[in-house]
Amino acid sequence: MKGAGGHGSPVPFLLPALLIVFAVLIFPIIFSFVVSLFDWPLSAGGGSRRFIGASNYVDLVKDKEFWNSLKLQLGFIFIAIPLELVLGLAAALLLNREFQGGRVIRALILLPVFFLPVVSGMTWRFMLQPRYGALNNFLLALGAPEITWLGDPTFAYAAIIIQDIWRMWPFVFMLLYAGLAGISTDILEAAEIDGAHFSKRLFSIILPLLYPTILTALLLRIIDALRIFSEVYVMTEGGPGMATTLFSLYTHRQAFGYMKVGMASAMAIFLLVISIVFAVTLVRKNMSLEKLEERGGDR
Amino acid sequence: MKLATKRKTITMAVAFFAIAVLLVELYPIVITLLNGFRTDLVILSGQKFSLKQLTTTSYALVFKNRLLMKAMGNSIIVGIFSTALSVGVGAMAAYGISRFRFRGRNALAYSFLVFRMLPQMSLVVALYLMFRSIGLRDTIFGITLAHSSFNVPYVIWMLIPFFTAVDKSYEEAAMVDGCSRWKLFHMVFLPLVAPGLVVAAVFSFINSWNEFLYALILTGVNARTAPVAISSLIGGDTLTWGQMCAASTVMLMPVFVFTLAMQKFLIRGIAAGGVKG
Repeated sequence: MKGAGGHGSPVPFLLPALLIVFAVLIFPIIFSFVVSLFDWPLSAGGGSRRFIGASNYVDLVKDKEFWNSLKLQLGFIFIAIPLELVLGLAAALLLNREFQGGRVIRALILLPVFFLPVVSGMTWRFMLQPRYGALNNFLLALGAPEITWLGDPTFAYAAIIIQDIWRMWPFVFMLLYAGLAGISTDILEAAEIDGAHFSKRLFSIILPLLYPTILTALLLRIIDALRIFSEVYVMTEGGPGMATTLFSLYTHRQAFGYMKVGMASAMAIFLLVISIVFAVTLVRKNMSLEKLEERGGDR
Repeated sequence: MKLATKRKTITMAVAFFAIAVLLVELYPIVITLLNGFRTDLVILSGQKFSLKQLTTTSYALVFKNRLLMKAMGNSIIVGIFSTALSVGVGAMAAYGISRFRFRGRNALAYSFLVFRMLPQMSLVVALYLMFRSIGLRDTIFGITLAHSSFNVPYVIWMLIPFFTAVDKSYEEAAMVDGCSRWKLFHMVFLPLVAPGLVVAAVFSFINSWNEFLYALILTGVNARTAPVAISSLIGGDTLTWGQMCAASTVMLMPVFVFTLAMQKFLIRGIAAGGVKG
C-alpha cells in the first residue's frame, strides 16, 4: 500500500485540524441541538430561557410558514436542478468537439459560476426593477405594460429560480463536459459508423457511461441548493410576503426577526440531517478515499 | 466529401448556438461592469446606454467610502488569515491521512468531506450565540475562524491526492537517513506538493472572499467584510446601483483573474465546493 510509513504517529499532524473542526463544526452542531430543546430568546430582553424538550419540533410541524418554506425549497430544487442538468448536458454534447474559439467559449460560459452570489442576486434585482430595469425596458419597447417583477409572488419565485439556473447550469456543463471527455472517442465514433441514430446513441451509450458524472453533478447541486441563502436574501429578502422565503431564509427570520433562537435551531438541525443524508450518499458513491488516491497523479 | 460538408455545417451551427448562449450568460455580467461606469442618477432615470455616460464617478465615490474601503480591507485580511490557517492546518492533516495507516482513517477522511458540505445556516445560529458569549462576535479573529469551518475540510480534500501521488521512495530514502516524520513533512513533502498548496490557497481565498452569511450574522461595524458592505448599498431608500456595480467589479476582478488563470484545476476546485454563497 502506498504511503505506509510504518513508524511515527499521525496524531500530531491531525490534531490542529481536529481542534478547529471541533470548535467550529462539531461543537456548534451539538450546541444547536441543545438550544433546539429550549425556549431561547435571542436577547435577554426577550425573557428567560426555559427547557421545553421537543416542543420546538412539535411547533415546527404545526407551523404553516415552516411547511411553506419547505414547499418553496423543494419546488426550487425540483424545478431548477433538472433544467440545469438538461441545459448542461445539451451544451456538453454540443460543445464536445473542436472548433475555432471553442476553448475561449467554454471558459467564458463558466464565468457566471464565479460571479459572486451576492452580486448575482443584486444584478438580477436590478434587471427586474420597474422603470429602469433591463427587462422592463425591453418589454416597454415592445409595447407591453410595466411590471414590478419582484413585487409579484409568482414572478419573484420564478426570478430566483431563473437566477439560479443562469448561474449554475454552466457548473453542470463543466462537470459533464469533463466526464464526456473521459469517454473514449473510439466508442462514440464506432457507434456513429455503425449508423446508430443519435437518440439511440445517447440513451444506450452516452448516458450510461456518463451516469456516475451525472449523479455527482445532481448530488452536488442538491447539496448546494439546500443551503441557498445569500443571492435570494439580497434579491427579494424572502418577499413579497413569504413568496421567496426558502428554508434558510425562514431559519434566519426565526432567529433574527422573531428572535426565537430555539425554533431556528430546530430548523437548523432539520436541515442538517437532510444535508448529511445527501452528503454521505455523495461521498460514499463518488468520492471514496480510494478514488481520491487513484486520481493521485493526473488530477 | 458530403460527410465533410455536413460536419462543417454542424460545427458552424454549434458555434452560432454557443455564441447565442454566451450572449445570455454574459449579459448580466456585462451590465454590471458597464453600470459601474455610469452614475447612480443616469441609471435610475432609465436612460438608454450611450458611451457619453461613461465616467469614473461611481468608482471615485466607492473609493472615498470609508466603510466600504474598511470592509474591503477586512475581506483581504480575513481571506489571507483564513487561507494561511486552513492551508497550514489542512496540509498537515492531508499528510496525516494519506501517508499513515491507522484505524478510522477512512471514516476520518469521509467526515472531513461531509463537513465541507454542511449548510452554513445550520451552524451560524450556534456560532452567533457562542461568539457573543466569548467576545468573538464582530472580530477579525472570529470571522476568520468561522471561515475556517469550510476552508479546513476543503483544503484537506484538495490536498489528499497531491500527497498520495508522492512516490514512496522519497519517504524511504529520507527515513534511512534518520529523518523524523516532521522533518520529512516539511523538507520533502511540502516542496513536492507545492502546486497543490497554491491551488488550495487560491480557492480558499475565493471561498472566504465570496462568503456572505457568516459575515452578515457574525460581524458588525468592525469586522464587516465586503460582500455584506456592498449589499447594503442597495435596499430601502438607498439605490446606489452605480456604486454597487463599481464595488462589485472590484470584488469580481481577482476572482475572474484567478479562475481564468487556473482553468486546469477548476473542475477539482469546484467539485469540492469551490463556489460558496
